[in-house]
Amino acid sequence: MPYGALEEIIVLDLSDRLAASFCAKTLGLYGCEVIKVEPLSGDPLRKWTNSNPNNQSGDSPLFLHLNAGKKSITINLDAVEGQNILAALMKVCDVVVETQKPGHLDKIGLAYNQIKKSNPSIIFTSITPYGQTGPYKNFHYDELTLFAMTGAMYREGLPEREPLRYSGEIAQYFAGNAAAAATTAALFKRTLTGQGDWLDISIQECMAGHPHQIGRRAPFIYAGEPDLRSEPRTSAAGAREPYAVGTFRCKDGYFSFLPLGPRMWPNIAKMIDREDLMVNPKYEDTIKRSENQEELEAIFQAWLDDKTREEIFRAVQAAGVPGSPILPPEEVHKNEQFHERGFFQNVDHPNGQTLRMTGDPFRFSNAPTSSLKAAPQLGQNTNEVLRKLLEFSDEQMEMLAMENII
Amino acid sequence: MNSEVNQPLSSIRALELSEIWAGPFCGSLLGDMGAEVIKIESIQRIGRGPINPPANAGGYPDNDPGKEPWNRQSNFNAINRNKKSLTLDLKTQPGLNSFKDLVSQSDVVFCNYARTVMENFGLSYEQVRKIKPDIIYMLMPGYGNDGPYANYRSMGMAIDAITGHSYLRGYPDMDQSSNSLVHHPDAVSATNGVMALTSALVYRAKTGKGQFIDMSQAESFMTHLGEIYLENQMTSSIRKRRGNRHPDFAPQGVYKCSGDDNWIAISIKTDKEWYQLKAIIGDNSLEDTDLDSLEARLQNHDHLDATINEWASTRDRYDALTLLQAAGITSGVVIDCGADSYADPHLNERNFFQIVDHPAAGLYPMTGPIFKFKSDQGRITHNPAPCLGQDNEHILEELLGYSKNTINKFKTDEIIGTVPLPGSDMGGSRRVAKQRKENSKD
Repeated sequence: MPYGALEEIIVLDLSDRLAASFCAKTLGLYGCEVIKVEPLSGDPLRKWTNSNPNNQSGDSPLFLHLNAGKKSITINLDAVEGQNILAALMKVCDVVVETQKPGHLDKIGLAYNQIKKSNPSIIFTSITPYGQTGPYKNFHYDELTLFAMTGAMYREGLPEREPLRYSGEIAQYFAGNAAAAATTAALFKRTLTGQGDWLDISIQECMAGHPHQIGRRAPFIYAGEPDLRSEPRTSAAGAREPYAVGTFRCKDGYFSFLPLGPRMWPNIAKMIDREDLMVNPKYEDTIKRSENQEELEAIFQAWLDDKTREEIFRAVQAAGVPGSPILPPEEVHKNEQFHERGFFQNVDHPNGQTLRMTGDPFRFSNAPTSSLKAAPQLGQNTNEVLRKLLEFSDEQMEMLAMENII
Repeated sequence: MNSEVNQPLSSIRALELSEIWAGPFCGSLLGDMGAEVIKIESIQRIGRGPINPPANAGGYPDNDPGKEPWNRQSNFNAINRNKKSLTLDLKTQPGLNSFKDLVSQSDVVFCNYARTVMENFGLSYEQVRKIKPDIIYMLMPGYGNDGPYANYRSMGMAIDAITGHSYLRGYPDMDQSSNSLVHHPDAVSATNGVMALTSALVYRAKTGKGQFIDMSQAESFMTHLGEIYLENQMTSSIRKRRGNRHPDFAPQGVYKCSGDDNWIAISIKTDKEWYQLKAIIGDNSLEDTDLDSLEARLQNHDHLDATINEWASTRDRYDALTLLQAAGITSGVVIDCGADSYADPHLNERNFFQIVDHPAAGLYPMTGPIFKFKSDQGRITHNPAPCLGQDNEHILEELLGYSKNTINKFKTDEIIGTVPLPGSDMGGSRRVAKQRKENSKD
């Protein structure tokens, strides 16, 4: 459910790609009024994928997720009248989230430097694949090619095979999330100073500046340590218990483990009911256990073979070993923890479907709440928004509609 | 207040009780935006890697752990920029009192330890808000602060597994046991943590009210996978592992170029891109007009991959990138986090790396902040990660007004310090010895 921490903040969402759209959605989850500005043909993400031929609602699952709770207005920005309407909206809103090609808004007089003259407290959040400057700023991109350019891909996968991307649209989501956080920081400064700002968010930099990547870049620059793909059960020297690191097969699926540090050894030995191993000199320290990794791994695997994910989950928690079952997506929204906390929320959609949608990334103890709403239909709020924010009359709106401006 | 000088959060003081990634990276991002972030550590238990690594251990400058390995550890130093370090033994009354004194002058407290750690110190939200009623206080355990898993342990890998992401990543022709170690959800908790704390700050500025923030690291990451859960409900098709391919775009993949382990990623999303690619590759086998439909390209994906691989194999990856981008084809080189990223002309032109002079680790170019605020241009924004306890005296004396005598007594009593006690590192010898002793009694 949205928490009204950022109530009374109006966000214009000019996004047509994922990261910016998710940034605006996140702001909306914490109380901003998010007005999505779409071309008359609609946000291309409404039809982002045809991989779901059975989808009855018309709009893609991605669009429904990214736009839950937003309002939709349509404006033809190729027409000067349309650009004028957007300029008028920018004068009265608090935040603009945009993802246009660098320089495009300048050409039509709608860039930060132009708008701030009439609205000095406006916050412009520009989210582009490679940022506003630099030789790659106009590169064509998607999740695969951008992920490759961040350093995250090179290490994902096996040494003898091709590097892999993560599943989902991870880099773009991460950048959108980071951008929402930075935008909110700018809003905080604005409450104290009245000053707006322009944020130049590069998706490449967000992912390249992510702990995974900076944590590998530091040993390279400190000591020339190469950044390589490694076998799945390898771990930093002496830091972990390698025979129990990574993903293992079990009776009804797979289970992931990450026991950090030698203090986990007794916990693991007790968990698999092999305390006898603890007094065996072959396994007495991390180095010996690494030398005998294959033997230990076989013992560990034998313990896993006849246990279900649920049995293992109970055992690892009782033993204090970090680990978790791998759930297929269809099991996630039935999981007892997320169910008990009411994380997934039922949202009614105009086509009659009730969908269980992801809720809040975090919760407040002390802020007004409201219920999550479905993504808007194309132009659903055009009249309401233009009447309220720009005081357009019915005649004006009829005229604009006839001229295909809205 | 001079808005030209102050960063977005420069009026804010935050206390960080965190280790590994989620909390520490959250603290660094706050610090990047000007907050005074005080990392509360202790010499009784440190989360900075081993305190007695072998003399030539990896991960240290010149592979030399030096006399203070805890101040030279690469991962710690990379992820803990822009903050101060104060050590306090919170298990003692004077240590606890100092923390409470600090709370009374702070805006934010956040913690990524297991849910009960703060409570066990006597520092639950209810207790802390008695000291500072409008405090913003965030706990970020793996699965949230209530529900059947409230006390479950987790790490990024575990969150990746339980959210469904691990199920979908990896090579489609292999099973999940070949999955790489991925801790991405930690980073998401960090950005969501900043979002949570800053929006609570906006709310406090407006209403004067503080906040308890309950973050589940799993739920935080699940908001990045929302369309996948919806697909499940809206369609009868269940998503399978895709590797580098996509059901709507073809060809798409990562192709090996000349040189050692050099790759280029190519993604053909439109027919226009396909015609351009055909023209660039110029291979007769692609001329078959049957391949001009997406369906045909999807069906013949293996053949297309082989042809593109052959083309790529004799080409320098950056030359290929220039050629493909000039033709409007979605593409990117696979860069590593070593020499490639430091040589990247784009990252360099945007000043992504900043030279950092760390008192114990030396002068190195480190990765800079990920946010660029126009109001902040030209600022040096990466201060080195703090040495253990480097700000002890400054904070106790200047901020809390403690006398030199008190501070000296704190040192003698090991409430503060700059050198970790033996066995205080994760899995340290003291703990192991104790465990062995207990076991031999059984």
